[in-house]
Amino acid sequence: MYIDPHIHLVSRTTDDYEAMRKAGIVATIEPAFWLGQPRTEVGSFKDYFSTLVGWERFRASQFGIVHYCTMGLNSKEANNVALAEQVMELLPLYAGKEGVVAIGEIGYDDQTEAEDRFYRLQLELAKEVELPVLIHTPHRDKKKGTTRSMDVAVEHGMDPYWVVVDHNNEETVKEVLDRGFWAAFTIYPHTKMGSERMVEIVKQYGPERIIVNSAADWGISDPIAVPKTAALMRKMGVPEEHVRLTTYQNALTVFGLSGQMHEDDWLKAAPIDQTKKLGGNSVLRGGQVPRVEGPDDRVEN
Amino acid sequence: MAKAQIQETLKNALEASVDPVSLSWMVEQAEKIKASTSPNPFFLAFSRASRYFNKEAISWTEGVTMALPEGVDPSAWDCLQVARMFLVLQLPFQNEVWEDILQRLFETGDMYEQQALYAALPLLPNSERLLPRAIEGCRTNISLIFDAIALHNPFPARFFPEANWNQLVLKAIFMQRPLYLIQDLDRRRNTALAAMATDFAHERWAAGRAVMPEVWRLIVPFMNSQYLEDLKNVLASTDATEQKAGALAAYQSDYAPAKGLLTAFPSLQEACASDDYSWEDLGIEFQKNRI
Repeated sequence: MYIDPHIHLVSRTTDDYEAMRKAGIVATIEPAFWLGQPRTEVGSFKDYFSTLVGWERFRASQFGIVHYCTMGLNSKEANNVALAEQVMELLPLYAGKEGVVAIGEIGYDDQTEAEDRFYRLQLELAKEVELPVLIHTPHRDKKKGTTRSMDVAVEHGMDPYWVVVDHNNEETVKEVLDRGFWAAFTIYPHTKMGSERMVEIVKQYGPERIIVNSAADWGISDPIAVPKTAALMRKMGVPEEHVRLTTYQNALTVFGLSGQMHEDDWLKAAPIDQTKKLGGNSVLRGGQVPRVEGPDDRVEN
Repeated sequence: MAKAQIQETLKNALEASVDPVSLSWMVEQAEKIKASTSPNPFFLAFSRASRYFNKEAISWTEGVTMALPEGVDPSAWDCLQVARMFLVLQLPFQNEVWEDILQRLFETGDMYEQQALYAALPLLPNSERLLPRAIEGCRTNISLIFDAIALHNPFPARFFPEANWNQLVLKAIFMQRPLYLIQDLDRRRNTALAAMATDFAHERWAAGRAVMPEVWRLIVPFMNSQYLEDLKNVLASTDATEQKAGALAAYQSDYAPAKGLLTAFPSLQEACASDDYSWEDLGIEFQKNRI
């Protein structure tokens, strides 16, 4: 069983869902992010947030995958201040919803003043609604941006154990772990962080507070990067327990702090088609084997 | 029926199934909602109810259901849904703000929140004002939400105009939802719906696919020479449930040639005459076998 704790499923096809399920992914977390181009209306955010707790959750369930999400205003779009202010008014409506496991992904992109302002406001929101935080670290000027993200989180009184710092690399991981934060790694095919480098990091730093994700979205990315990395870890002699921690348990532990994510959600899943439950056919396929939905569970539409 | 009485009924039903801590949280939230002039305590409580209530079914005793408005069938509701219904009933229905508040909630609700809201429609005072919302809700492709409007719910049969009612039933057929759980289906059968349903059956046959047996219930009052040909097809089916559906449609119709078809199927004719099975039985049988 695997968890992909960072994947933008609204951009993925049903083929991807099938492949993910087949590869053993039982749960996913979809952080609220941008759409590849900036939104211009607050209503676009509202409908996007509603999709994350509505249609996408349902779509995932039809493939036997439990879908969670994080809510937040991403750093890129924080730079449209007038719009960002309206999004901030919208967020409390979604932050408390079922299956929202963190505030995120938030942080810095160009490390502007506006980004800083909305990052801080959202750290306060996270404390208020008692949710962990998922930090997106910048792709440019990364090292400094990562350090700054953690400094500011600490300044706002966040417990590092409640904060996942994402998109790490060899240059950032040490400080993140030393300061007690969770270090997530995104496996990017071809570039940046590949599975091979990930294996080396786990070998060097061990499995504690390290999390692997795909961050698959509308760009070149691989929705089964987590199971693939796990397979490579095994091949390279990483102990099974370390594989389990970095590709399953650590994500569950930190995002489970939200109280919104439990192993039973996939181990004792109820059928999505309620008529099956009412028809007396809801033999809970419990135990250690997650419920697997078949084509019959999918509604033609 | 008085709002207070409905609330009392919902609360009593929860009492038997949930932790007292959850129940007192709910009552406390209800007080906060009533005392506040802002909708925020309501939005917050409605969302956070999932932290206090699970999605286990509630067992309803007969006396309890009697205390709900006529036609309301709570058998499919779970604890979380009922708690959310209780909270919705705290809204100030005496002025018109409640409509804006509910619209906002419908637009931002997660799938379980929307399920609770649509299922609560028949409990709300002046609920017919939410007719456009209910019609819009039927456009969902999330079966959980569609079911909350279409099944076990007296709202559509009571308020939907014919065109929207027909769209609802047709969509239920398309999504293979159990038609026997749509309230007042027989009373609201109509010629347009019968024609659309048989057209749908023809499309499925053209694609070499089976037709949901409950479809034939819709043509019973409008049997004619054209539908007779369809019935012949259904009776010739190799699927036992489908065949039984064809027989029941023929038996229940007043059209002599349709009844005449049954002479070739004496055992089915006998079963219909002695009430051996109903449309509901066929619907259950179909849903069971499609798993």
